[in-house]
Amino acid sequence: MVTPLSTPRAAYVHVPFCAHRCGYCDFTLVAGKDHLAGRYLAALEQELRTLGQPREVETLFVGGGTPTQLAADELERLLELMREWLILTSGGEFSVEANPAGLTEEKVEALHRYGVNRVSLGVQSFSAPLLEVLERDHREADIERAIERLRGGIENISLDLIFAVPGQTLENWRETLQRAIDFGPDHISTYGLTFEKGTAFWARRERGELLSADDALERSMYELAMDLLPEHGLRQYELSNFARAGRECRHNEVYWAGLGYYGFGPGAASYVEGVRRTNHRSVTTWLKRMEAGDSAVGESEELSIEGRAREAIWLGLRRTRGIGRKRFRESFGVDLEVLAGETIRRQVDAGLIDTEGDRIRLTREGRLMADTVAVEFL
Amino acid sequence: MKPEHIRNFSIVAHIDHGKSTLADQLLLKTGAITERQFREQILDDLDVERERGITVKARAVAIHYTPPEPGSPTYELNLIDTPGHVDFHYEVSRSLAACEGALLIIDAFQGVQAQTVANAYAAIESNLEIIPVVNKIDLPVTRVDEVLEEVETILGLDASGALKVSAKKGTGVEDVLDAIIQRIPAPNGDPKAPLKALVFDSKYDPYRGVITYLRIAEGTIRKGEKIKFLKAGTTHEAIELGQFRPGMVECDQLGPGQVGYIVTGIKELGNVHVGDTVTHAAAPTSSPFAGYKDPKPMVFCGMFPIDATDFEKLREELEKMSLNDASFSFAPETSDALGFGFRCGFLGMLHMEIIQQRLEDEADVGLIQTAPNVTYEIAKRDGEVFLIDNPLDVPDVGRIEEFREPIARVTFILPASNIGVIMQLCEDRRGVYKTTEYLGPERAQLIYELPLAEIIYDLHDKLKSATRGYGTMDYEVIGFRAADLVKMDILVKGARVDALSTIVHRDMAERRGRQLVKKLKQEIPKHQFEVALQAAIGARVIARETISAYRKNVTAKCYGGDITRKRKLLQKQKEGKKRMKQFGQVEIPQKAFLSVLEAGNED
Ligand SMILES: Nc1nc2c(ncn2[C@@H]2O[C@H](COP(=O)(O)OP(=O)(O)O)[C@@H](O)[C@H]2O)c(=O)[nH]1
Ligand code: SF4
Repeated sequence: MVTPLSTPRAAYVHVPFCAHRCGYCDFTLVAGKDHLAGRYLAALEQELRTLGQPREVETLFVGGGTPTQLAADELERLLELMREWLILTSGGEFSVEANPAGLTEEKVEALHRYGVNRVSLGVQSFSAPLLEVLERDHREADIERAIERLRGGIENISLDLIFAVPGQTLENWRETLQRAIDFGPDHISTYGLTFEKGTAFWARRERGELLSADDALERSMYELAMDLLPEHGLRQYELSNFARAGRECRHNEVYWAGLGYYGFGPGAASYVEGVRRTNHRSVTTWLKRMEAGDSAVGESEELSIEGRAREAIWLGLRRTRGIGRKRFRESFGVDLEVLAGETIRRQVDAGLIDTEGDRIRLTREGRLMADTVAVEFL
Repeated sequence: MKPEHIRNFSIVAHIDHGKSTLADQLLLKTGAITERQFREQILDDLDVERERGITVKARAVAIHYTPPEPGSPTYELNLIDTPGHVDFHYEVSRSLAACEGALLIIDAFQGVQAQTVANAYAAIESNLEIIPVVNKIDLPVTRVDEVLEEVETILGLDASGALKVSAKKGTGVEDVLDAIIQRIPAPNGDPKAPLKALVFDSKYDPYRGVITYLRIAEGTIRKGEKIKFLKAGTTHEAIELGQFRPGMVECDQLGPGQVGYIVTGIKELGNVHVGDTVTHAAAPTSSPFAGYKDPKPMVFCGMFPIDATDFEKLREELEKMSLNDASFSFAPETSDALGFGFRCGFLGMLHMEIIQQRLEDEADVGLIQTAPNVTYEIAKRDGEVFLIDNPLDVPDVGRIEEFREPIARVTFILPASNIGVIMQLCEDRRGVYKTTEYLGPERAQLIYELPLAEIIYDLHDKLKSATRGYGTMDYEVIGFRAADLVKMDILVKGARVDALSTIVHRDMAERRGRQLVKKLKQEIPKHQFEVALQAAIGARVIARETISAYRKNVTAKCYGGDITRKRKLLQKQKEGKKRMKQFGQVEIPQKAFLSVLEAGNED
């Protein structure tokens, strides 16, 4: 059976390029520096080589940044490198993140050719004023065109949406969800906008130029997604993720199950044999280190058995199915009851956790308060 | 050492006028310390004090100096250090009692300030020869002439012999040494008379036990002799004898006029009383010193361990503090809200901050501190009169004949243009106007009598902001006075949190109540339910606020690269929660208990 200490069966590759940086974004990326793509690909090859030999994986995920910001030939080179080092088992899942702007036929065709079978499209919103607030460079027409093109060869399409955008109304969010549903995607992710330290949004909010959405409104928006999406066959399977049956993102489920994974590229994390290593978050530092033959790792932590188990509770509760006690004991070597029995009972009393047979899971209220619950287990 | 070659003096000054720098210069010029040591303010040995530039604990340094003139004898100059802050008035007086003279330092730009006045008066009362020293003459802008005029008009001192120095650059320091020898009287005293020495300070040393600071008035003390503390009535052996130069240097005897220390094996600071007389056990003096009153703490606050199991640890830490500082007191108390803790007494706000800071630095105990309050005197209908240091001890209104609070006489020195603002400030705080005196065209001295409670509440901060830092103040408690005082309670989600109760004047209760619940609203985090905050006098609610419920708390994105960072954030939140006190269903952060005090800085 697969446990956190088994050899990883999942790999993530980070592509740190974007046309420009959106005001709320704190991801690892460089904006408007596409000329670094060549160096990036060479460095990535260096990092993949550290595997020593090609590895077989069941899921691959290329995220960013914007992977499709790479020119078509660069994109092919990336996929070629991955094919060389990361062998996808048959029936495996291969996801790539894409942005609606600049997703050309040529790029989609390349993705298809290299076996990409799932694309997660950064739609965020359909409304021009909100896309403007978010500083996104696409408009509704780009979204339609992108989905059209993806339909040409990608079987599993996911749309990313953002709510609680400054100025957004509940009505607008309803329309956004409905519009997304109407495209008939296999999967939808909904993210409440957060203000991260170091972003332009953070600074603007500090100065009082930008107002974060009201707590109660944000709650209503999240509840609306939880109500509306399942009505259209998109079942919630994680706090921010909804999918048709069998279309859940298997790669991301590896994270929430507390299992191992490889990671490549700046800011990427790997979790191998209980050690989590996060590559340096600065793109240029990562590049220089790879070019100098140094390690890319910026931060690494080896979790204790208990630390690993506690983290797994937190992550496991993010999944709608929750945590099975038997499975948990087998995977983490400790009994859920011993580790957190008292905390679980308190959360049950507070109405935030449900127990059903072997499983514990967040209630609907618990999903709205997931961080409050998480703090209790960590 | 012959008395005629001894000079005993203090340096007194308003904070930051350069007392420590000049003291160091004197040591440097006489070779007692090196240039490198000069960089460090060696007279202050507690970190907190250095940060604040305040010498809290008086110390004495013996400087040996031979003037350059051929044939000059070597002099022993004993510099007895004094604290500069209002909270430590009594320490100033007792240090001055061991001197014949004082250097009064005045900043060449800032001129006479409130603590200059307070310190100068203390020196005058002790009949000392006072040498005015205008310091910082190297500053680009100085007001030396006006400053000298201030010395004459406010302090009534002859400024014609004032010295002008730069302690920083070392300019004029020889003149200071010269003036100490020429102008300060030598001590007198018969070396053969029965021993009579004044205890003017003490400190605790972990290796030697209590170190007692002595100024010999008459007779001679020798190592190994049996000595007696007259007031305490205890007899000990003078195990070790010495002087600070500035490190401890042992010697065999100390004669009339000399200043030094003795080690007697006494282990507790409380057993050595400042003002006591040390004499020979076999042939005691017949004229002991009058002694001092022990200073009474006037400001109190509660200190509670966040983690109840730390109670004993906290007690040990507080004991350690009081070992070093006899004017700090503490006694166990219990609070419904905070559990078991201690009621701690301080001389004033600065004293409180210093102790708090030291607890934070040295003790590994998470603390919740309640807002400070002053001591009150209550006269009951049945004739009983007693002091309380905790708002919870206020008896039923019906049984109180008179509720009295401590009143202080406050001296402000400020730019004349600010008089109006400060008078308004005092009137708003129930002040009684006394006098105004102009110190020159631009500066004035204003005297008010104000309730001590109002002073500790926010007066100092308000003064600083109203005068853009140019105003200074000093106060002295003069007694208790009856006032219309009431106890104000705070209810959180309908239940009284005893640790938030305060005593306020009835006329101000509503305003304070409103400010306080508003402040608490900012301090207490949202919960999953609404939290009502109310201020009440008896059963009457005078102010209220509501903290709305938390509606959503969930991190949207959490994938491989986020896990470590997000988990650390959540763990930090958890740490934060540990610092909160669970009160019913409501979690109240540590800081909220101080809101009572900070509420005043809002408007
Ligand atoms: N320019 C100048 N600054 C001085 C002089 N004497 C002291 N200071 C500065 O004034 C500040 C307060 O001095 P300090 O001796 O600590 O003052 P204390 O609080 O009276 O002991 C320090 O920053 C000193 O460096 C001086 O003669 N000239
Ligand atoms: S496109 Fe996505 S990754 Fe790129 S800057 Fe905008 S939010 Fe960040």
